[in-house]
Amino acid sequence: MIAIPLNVRAGLVSLLILATLLIAWHIAVSGSGPTAKVDPEYAKLMGATATQGKSAMPGPIEVGQKLWGLVSDPFYDRGTNDKGIGIQLGYSIGRVLLGFMLAAMVAIPLGFIVGMSPLMSAALNPFIQILKPISPLAWMPLALYTIKDSSISAIFVIFICSLWPMLINTAFGVASVRKDWVNVAKTLEMSPGRTAWRVILPAAAPTILTGMRISIGIAWLVIVAAEMLVGGTGIGYFVWNEWNNLSITNVINSILLIGVVGMILDQMLARLQGAVAYAD
Amino acid sequence: MSFENPFKKTGRTWNSRSGNGCSCGRHASELDHALDRSSEDARIRSAVEETVLRAVFPDPIARRTFLSTVGSATALAAIASVFPYATVTEAFAQATPEKKDLKVGFIPITCATPIIMAKPMGFYEKQGLNVDVVKTAGWAVIRDKTLNKEYDAAHMLAPMPLAISLGVGSAPVPFAMPAVENINGQAITLSIKHKDKRDPKTWKGFKFGVPFDYSMHNYLLRYYLAEAGLDPDTDVQIRSVPPPEMVANLRADNIDGFLGPDPFNQRAVFDGAGFIHILSKEMWDGHPCCAFAASKEFITTSPNTYAALLRAIIEATAFATKDENRKQIAAGIAPANYLNQPETVLEQVLTGTYADGLGKIVKDPRRVDFDPFPYQSFAIWILTQMKRWGQIKGDVDYKAVAEQVYLTTDTTKLMKEVGLTPPADPLKGFSVMGKAFDPTKPAEYLASFPIKRS
Amino acid sequence: MTSNHISVQGLSRRFPDPTGKGETVVFDNVWFDVAEGEFFCVIGHSGCGKSTILNILAGLDRPSGGTIVAGGVHVDGPSLDRAVIFQGHALMPWLTALQNVELAVTSRHPGWTRAQAREHAMKFLALVHLDHAAHKKPSQLSGGMKQRVGIARALSLEPKILLMDEPFSALDALTRGSLQDEVLEMRARTKQTTFMITHDVDEAMLLADKILLMTNGPNARVAEIVENTLPKLRSRTDLHKHPNYYPLRNHLIDFLVTRSAVMAKGDSGDFDPKNPPLIRPTHAVSAVGPPQLLSGAPATDQAPVTSAA
Repeated sequence: MIAIPLNVRAGLVSLLILATLLIAWHIAVSGSGPTAKVDPEYAKLMGATATQGKSAMPGPIEVGQKLWGLVSDPFYDRGTNDKGIGIQLGYSIGRVLLGFMLAAMVAIPLGFIVGMSPLMSAALNPFIQILKPISPLAWMPLALYTIKDSSISAIFVIFICSLWPMLINTAFGVASVRKDWVNVAKTLEMSPGRTAWRVILPAAAPTILTGMRISIGIAWLVIVAAEMLVGGTGIGYFVWNEWNNLSITNVINSILLIGVVGMILDQMLARLQGAVAYAD
Repeated sequence: MSFENPFKKTGRTWNSRSGNGCSCGRHASELDHALDRSSEDARIRSAVEETVLRAVFPDPIARRTFLSTVGSATALAAIASVFPYATVTEAFAQATPEKKDLKVGFIPITCATPIIMAKPMGFYEKQGLNVDVVKTAGWAVIRDKTLNKEYDAAHMLAPMPLAISLGVGSAPVPFAMPAVENINGQAITLSIKHKDKRDPKTWKGFKFGVPFDYSMHNYLLRYYLAEAGLDPDTDVQIRSVPPPEMVANLRADNIDGFLGPDPFNQRAVFDGAGFIHILSKEMWDGHPCCAFAASKEFITTSPNTYAALLRAIIEATAFATKDENRKQIAAGIAPANYLNQPETVLEQVLTGTYADGLGKIVKDPRRVDFDPFPYQSFAIWILTQMKRWGQIKGDVDYKAVAEQVYLTTDTTKLMKEVGLTPPADPLKGFSVMGKAFDPTKPAEYLASFPIKRS
Repeated sequence: MTSNHISVQGLSRRFPDPTGKGETVVFDNVWFDVAEGEFFCVIGHSGCGKSTILNILAGLDRPSGGTIVAGGVHVDGPSLDRAVIFQGHALMPWLTALQNVELAVTSRHPGWTRAQAREHAMKFLALVHLDHAAHKKPSQLSGGMKQRVGIARALSLEPKILLMDEPFSALDALTRGSLQDEVLEMRARTKQTTFMITHDVDEAMLLADKILLMTNGPNARVAEIVENTLPKLRSRTDLHKHPNYYPLRNHLIDFLVTRSAVMAKGDSGDFDPKNPPLIRPTHAVSAVGPPQLLSGAPATDQAPVTSAA
C-alpha cells in the first residue's frame, strides 16, 4: 500500500462531500410542481414556474452556468446600475479596506495605550464594553443621519465594527509582553518609543494580527449588509438588485463569491500572521 | 403662443387653445409640435415677440386694432427698430442649465417609467442634461439621499413630498412635486391559495403588504378595506414590505396579499404565486401614484436646470401616454441597468394585455397611464387620508399645503412649452370607489367616514 | 574609591503585607562593598532577597531604604553601565542571535553605522564561540547557546559592572560546567567587576573572589562575607586538590544547611550591619584534630595562616 499523504486524502474527502451535496441539490430541485392546463396564449404570458411546474429554486447546473457567465465578463459597465461583478466586488473590497485601515490606525495605537497603562485601561473599559456589542446595522441609521453621505456612512460603519477586535487584541498582546523582554529594554536604556517599536510591537504582533484577522472578517460581513441597505454599488447592492429580479440563481452566485472573497482576505492576513510569528 | 393675426379666417384668437393642429399652426398635432426642435427656437422667438407686443400694448383691443391696421410683419418691424429682439431672444434661449450633471434616484418599478425611459430614449440629453438615473434600495433611502443632496431630484411616492414638507417621518424640508409620474398602475394581488376568497368581507385577519406608510397604496388599501367594513388597524395587519420582497413573502405565506406597484403584481402572476384581484384603476381611475419630486432649494438655486429636467420628464410622460410606444418602452426599461425584469412582464403591465393569474387574459390598456399634471385635489385627498389614519394630527390648511407642494403653475407653464394641454382646473373633483370627493370641502369629506382614527 | 566600586549602604526592601496589616520585610540594613575588578557572589536560600538586591542594582527595582553607589554614580534606574545577564536568557525570539547582540550595541552606540555595530557584535559572539550561529533564531539554539548569547549581549556593552542573576541555574549540569569555564576564562582576561547571584556553592567557589552569605528571609540580613581562599588562577580540574578547598566548601555548605536558618531566628547579638564579619576559611595545620576554621577579624589585612598557597 502506498501511503497517501494526509493533505491528498483530505482533499479527496472534500471533493466527495461536495459531489454528494451537489447531487442532492440537483435531485431536490428537479421535482415538478403542480401544473394547470392552460390556454397556450395565456401560457405565453406566464413564467416557467407557473406553466411547467419548474422549481423556483435553481439547480446546481443552472447556478454553474450563470456563475460562469458572471466571472467570464467581470468588468462590463452597462450603466450606473448595471456593472460587472468584478467592478462591484472592487467597490466593496475598496470600502472594506478603507474602513479597515482607518480602524487599524485608531485601534492599534489606542490598544497600545490601553495595554501599557492600567489607568487608561480601566478608564476606557466601560466605553469599550458598551460600544463593542452594538450591531453594525444599528449604527447605520445614525451614521446616515449625521454624516448624510451614504458612501461615507458605509465606511464609518465598517470602521466602528472592525475597531473592537483589533483594539482588544492589541491591548491584550501589549499587556502580555514578557516582563523579561521589557526589562532587557530597560537595562539597555531604550527610550519608551524605541521600546515600543523594537520590543513591544514585535512581541505583541502575533496577537495583534489575530485581532486584525477577526476584524477583516467582520468588516467583510458588514459591508455586504450595509450595501444592501444603502445601494449604489458593491456586491451587497448586486445581491439586492438580483433579489429585486427574484433571480435566486444570481443571489446564490453572489453568496458564493462573497464567501470566496472573504476567504481570500482572511488568507492574506493569515500569511501576514505567519510572517510575524515567532517560536518562544 | 405664436404671434397670430387675430382676424385670420380660421377664427383662432391669439389665446385660443381649442381645436386640432398645434399652437404654431405648422404641425399635425401638439405632440409633433412638441417633438420638433426647430419650432422650439421659433417658438421662443415668437414668445419674446409676443411678450414685447403685450408690453407695448397692454390693452388687448388696442393691440388687435393695431395689428389689423398695419399687419403683423410691419408691426414687428416697427417695434424691432426700437427694441433689440435678437438680444432678448438669445438671452431667453440661453436659459442654459446651471448644472448639467445630475443624479436622479428611482425605485425599480413601472411607476417610474418616465423618469427611467428619459435616459435611454434621450429625453434628458435633448435638454442638454447629463442625468445619471440611480437605482435605489428603498423609499426611505431615496428620501434620505434626496434630503442630503446626493440626489438632485428623485422618484417618490405622491404623498412623500407632502410628508417631508410637513415634517412627518423626517425633518421638515420644503419639497415640491411638480409632476406626477403615473396614474393607476397598482393592484391588489392575493396569494393563489385565496383564489376563492374574493369578497373583501372575508379578509378578516389577513396580512397585507404595502411599500411604504406614506403611499397611495396604503391609503387605497385602507379605503378599500374600510369600504368593506374592515378596520385596517384592528381587523387586518398592514406592513411595510419592499416591493421585490412582496412576491417572495407571498410565496412564503408571510402575507396573504399586497397592494403594490407593478411590475410586482404581474411578476407574482408570472411566477404562479398569486393572482390579480382588482386593479387600482378600478378603485379610482386616474389616481396618482408616484411623482417626480425635488427640494424647493434645488428649484430656487438652479431654476434653469429644474426647468430643463421637468421639461424632459414631461416630454417623456407625453411619449409614454401613447399606446403605440408602450412596447418599445418596455424593451427600453427591462435591462438590468433599469428595472431588471423579464420583458414580457413589463409588456403586460404597460400594454394592459395581461394574464390575471386565474387563467384569463384581460385587456385594459389604461391599466397604467401617464399624466404629469399634479392636481391639487390629489394633494388634498391625500392629506384627508393622512389625517384620517392619524398620520398627521391637529389642523391642516389643506389648500395652502397643497398649493405649496403640488406646483401646478410650473407644470402648467412647462406643459405648454412642450406643447401639451394643461388642464384648466387644478382642483378637479373625482370619485373614489363610487364616492364623490369635493376638494373644496375636505373637512366634511373626512368627517363622512365611519372608520377613521381622528 | 575606584570607578567600578559598588557600595551598598543600608539597603532595605519592604512590601506592604498583602493582608493589609503591616509590612513584609525582605531584607533590612544591608551594607557591603565590591572592589573594582572583583567577582562578587551572593549565596543564600530562596526568599533571602538576593535577586532583589540584584534588581535594585540593575535599576529595575527601587529600595525602600538605603542607597547604592556604583561606578561612581548613585543608582537610580537602569544603566548601560550596569549590564544584566538574566536567569532565563531573555533573548528576543524574533531576532537572530546577532540581531539580539546588535540591539545592545546600537543602544550603547547609537551613532554607529550598521557595519560597525555588526562587526562589534560579531566580535562578542566569537568570544562566546557562537559566531557560526549568528544568524540563527533563539528557537534554533540550545539552552546553553542561548545563555551564551545573553552573555555576549551583556559584554558587548563593555559595561563597568556586570550583573548576573543565577545565569546558569536553568541549564543542565554539563552545559553549566562548560559555561562556567568560559566565564572563568573571561574573568581571567577582562577583570570585569561582576556581581553574581547563585545558589550553587561549587560555582561560587570556581568563579568568585568574595562570597556574601545572607540569612534566610523574611527579615534577611547579611550573615558574613567569605573570602575565596583558593588561588586566583583556578582551573576546574585541580581545584579540589587545593588544601583550602574543603574548608571553604564545608563552611559554605554548613552555612546553607544550618547556620542560615539559625542565624535568621536568633538575635543578631553584636552584629554590626555596616561591618559584616569577613571570614577566610583555610586549611590550618594543627596537631589536634581535623582542619579548623580560623575566623578572622573584620579587617581585611590579616595574614592568612596557610600551609601552602
